[in-house]
Amino acid sequence: MMTKLLEDEPTVEVAWTPLPGLHQEAGPAVAAILSAMLGLMTLALVNLGTQASKAFNTWVHGIGKLWMPGAEGIGPYSGKETLSLAVWIGSWVILHLALRHRDLSLGRWLVVFLVGIGIATTLLWPPVFEFLTGH
Amino acid sequence: MNGNRELVEREEASTASLALVVGLLIGVAATAVIATAPVTALIGQSRAALAAAFHGLSAFLYLIVGTIGLYLGWRLLTGRIRAFADLQLLATVSATLSLIAIIFGNWLYIFYRAKDPASPRSWFLENMPMVHKIFFEFKEFMALFTLPLTVAAAFVLWYYGAQVLDRKWMRYTVAVLLGLSFFYLVIAFGLGAAVTKLRPA
Repeated sequence: MMTKLLEDEPTVEVAWTPLPGLHQEAGPAVAAILSAMLGLMTLALVNLGTQASKAFNTWVHGIGKLWMPGAEGIGPYSGKETLSLAVWIGSWVILHLALRHRDLSLGRWLVVFLVGIGIATTLLWPPVFEFLTGH
Repeated sequence: MNGNRELVEREEASTASLALVVGLLIGVAATAVIATAPVTALIGQSRAALAAAFHGLSAFLYLIVGTIGLYLGWRLLTGRIRAFADLQLLATVSATLSLIAIIFGNWLYIFYRAKDPASPRSWFLENMPMVHKIFFEFKEFMALFTLPLTVAAAFVLWYYGAQVLDRKWMRYTVAVLLGLSFFYLVIAFGLGAAVTKLRPA
């Protein structure tokens, strides 16, 4: 009885889906995950730079002050957020346009994404970035 | 017979009835709180009270939504999801709450790092430097990871729609994005709560 009822129901509810039967290339999904990874890698690398160089730290803070309300109080963190955001969105637009008609191997690029995220996380662990910048 | 009951319950659990129940519960809770505690005492009286209240509230809501998203992500990973529409909406709500929590976190950060000797940052550097240098600095970066991960998950879910269900790596990708975003959320939330407990802004 239970099995019969469940079979009669629609299997899955979907809020929105492209035309049924249409196969969309995996390129846009690859672009979405790679751009997220690039944005977070940027955050890690910019943070390393600010730890290593006072001049770079001041420049990064200046980037935040260009647009972010309260950036003076937030400090260089505002610039790190800004640069990470700019690379994330900028690379997403570029990669989406470049890859939207390409059916790439999502599994392979997911591995690249995971490695990149792992590196970014490690570089942002304070004992690691302090060690790398000689503090 | 169990099957009959389950089916009836599903038919009655409309979005309107859910919204009504949630609204009623919030109303009862709000009435009880307002009747028994002054709002100023509830939010706090420091200069950072409002920023801290909104940051904490948005992060807490995100934790709830993120937990449900994690479960639905697991169902998606194993290919046994029915509430795909809910996952599409939850991923979008998660991304929105992540952004809101980050914006309020930025505002709160101004008070945290104020050049006042009584500010949490000054106090930690004087008394417990490792709390700021390791816990807080790691937390402030990990919180930012949640936004691109949840946005990417929501994008894939809406762009590909039901195709996600039939494509193994698409399912894995969304599940990984939701799982990772939850991992970073828990780091940020846990460390943030610990830091606040030690020295509120």
